[in-house]
Amino acid sequence: MTFGPAVGNVGMYVAREMLISVPEDQRQTYLRMVEEISDLKYQLGVEVARQLPRLLVEGDSERVARYLSQVREVAATGWKSGVEVAKQLPDLYDAPDETLAGAYVDIVSQATAGPPEDTETAQLATELGDLERELREMEPKVKRAQELRTQLAARDRRDEKRRKHAVELASALPPILARLRPRYRPPYLDLVRQVAAADPEASLEAADTLLDLLNGERVSPEGAAEWVERGLDVLERNKEVGRGYFRLGSKYSLQVLEELKEGLALKSVARVLKLYATALSGQEIAIRGTNEMQAVDVFGVDHIILPPEMHFFEDDASNFTAYKVATAHGAGRIEFGTYRFSLEDIPETVERLRARYSEESR
Amino acid sequence: MAVESQKVEDFRLTKEPYYLPLGNEIELFESAYNARLPVMLKGPTGCGKTRFVEHMSWRLKRTLVTVACHEDLTASDLVGKYTLRGDETVWQDGPLTTAVKSGGIAYLDEVVEARKDTTVVIHPLTDDRRILPLEKKGEIVSAPEDFMLVISYNPGYQSVLKDLKHSTKQRFVAIEFDYPPPDLEESILKAEAGIDDDTASKLVKIGEKVRNLRTHGLDEGVSTRLLVYAGQLIQGGVEPIAACEATICKPITDDLEMQRSIVEIIATQF
Ligand SMILES: Nc1ncnc2c1ncn2[C@@H]1O[C@H](COP(=O)(O)OP(=O)(O)O)[C@@H](O)[C@H]1O
Ligand SMILES: [Mg+2]
Repeated sequence: MTFGPAVGNVGMYVAREMLISVPEDQRQTYLRMVEEISDLKYQLGVEVARQLPRLLVEGDSERVARYLSQVREVAATGWKSGVEVAKQLPDLYDAPDETLAGAYVDIVSQATAGPPEDTETAQLATELGDLERELREMEPKVKRAQELRTQLAARDRRDEKRRKHAVELASALPPILARLRPRYRPPYLDLVRQVAAADPEASLEAADTLLDLLNGERVSPEGAAEWVERGLDVLERNKEVGRGYFRLGSKYSLQVLEELKEGLALKSVARVLKLYATALSGQEIAIRGTNEMQAVDVFGVDHIILPPEMHFFEDDASNFTAYKVATAHGAGRIEFGTYRFSLEDIPETVERLRARYSEESR
Repeated sequence: MAVESQKVEDFRLTKEPYYLPLGNEIELFESAYNARLPVMLKGPTGCGKTRFVEHMSWRLKRTLVTVACHEDLTASDLVGKYTLRGDETVWQDGPLTTAVKSGGIAYLDEVVEARKDTTVVIHPLTDDRRILPLEKKGEIVSAPEDFMLVISYNPGYQSVLKDLKHSTKQRFVAIEFDYPPPDLEESILKAEAGIDDDTASKLVKIGEKVRNLRTHGLDEGVSTRLLVYAGQLIQGGVEPIAACEATICKPITDDLEMQRSIVEIIATQF
């Protein structure tokens, strides 16, 4: 015969010889009983499967039931005791004194279970349980506290750096102000204050750069304000990049500056040009910007009209030359009454003059 | 005064000073001399007044005593004063007295600059009395026939404080000077600095343009004297633009924009 899948897990504990020793009509019962007891613990099933055939052969079903219940009783207090009791009990049933087995089971059960739990132990256990739960709940807070500690330390280091740069700024500003043209001082201070509020280190860079930009008249105060504003955007996104911007060390910064750069302003050279034209032509000549055209009627004196800014060249010297060339032509027109000159010709004329002069100076 | 101890002979010119007449000034001066009239040379500095007087003194064969007037120059500086020599006090003739006594030409250059009290000694010399009172000495010197008083006066400097009184102005025959016309100025530059035609012509053009700036912030245009200096520097090997900047641009104005426009004018020529 085979036991195939019908016997399920029981096949694991029940050797073929054991099953053969069980009377044929009781084999199904035997397998069920082993299966039930092994649900408690696998080792119990192994021992019970070994002892049961002997009891089943005796044909005393009451004794079988007693055996199984007593094994369960002991196993409930501790499975290892249950296994030992399952092994010893059948022999004790054979003893003349029928009470022996019962007393044995009681002793082993009590010995395994120990005294009943006292209330103090239970309290301690509850308290510990509560604490452990609380500790588990605290864990994220502890982690957060550690995070905050690190963050604050970093901030403190940054503040210290900030204070150091503020001191540097304090000593750098007065000499810069002394060098700065007086009319640029108020807008300059305003711009440096804006940058310093955002980042003193960047303001050190800005302080130097703005001095050069304004004093060198590379941008107007308005242009400088625009340059600072765009730099503050960069600074907000990234301090290091922002500092580079204010140092004129970034491509973007130079690009913004290029965008804002004024050419040579006519008003800054108008008097020189006026004197130049007056000297050349021998008559009083006024220099006017194309932006003053509407006033031309009332000028009353001969005038030369020039663009308010000269952008043709990178450098002011060349832009001045451009103005000068235009002025000389204008003076010539006034002196001789001809006009054969247009602004578009300026770059070409200047290049020609420059080529000529540089050749001559060689 | 530096001239105090000099002999009158020192003031006689032996070599003809180069002077290029610009108009009829030589005839005018000679006529005034013959008529015993004092002469006032009017004109901006450096246009040849001093050179003209030198030339005329040579031409008329008269000694020439030149006094460069300045604001500390007093009447006694001109006339003379007592000075201590050992234990004695000695009278010392001033340059004007020297000139009057010797019967030569006394030239008071930039006379407006002198103290007002100098006019007191000038006036009696310029009318028909032709006398020089030596007040402190209690003496009066009569000017000989061949004495002539010449003053120079720069109308460009006029200010309320520094102008000749009308009562003074009206005692003189005025000969007016101005910068020479281009062709004559060119000749002067060539003669005085030894430069070539081209350089002379360029310098004259620069002078002309810069003089256009008079009344536009320049008190005085560039003088013939400064153009001569420029020519002399160029002749001496100085690079033309640098020579012009040093002689034409820098001396005549402290206004930086004015200087820059003059530099540009120079650059149009060299
Ligand atoms: N007509 C002239 N002829 C020759 N030289 C002249 C003449 N005009 C000016 N100069 C030159 O200009 C220089 C300055 O002239 P100067 O007589 O000293 O000027 P002023 O006495 O008017 O200030 C002279 O040394 C001379 O070289
Ligand atoms: Mg003189």
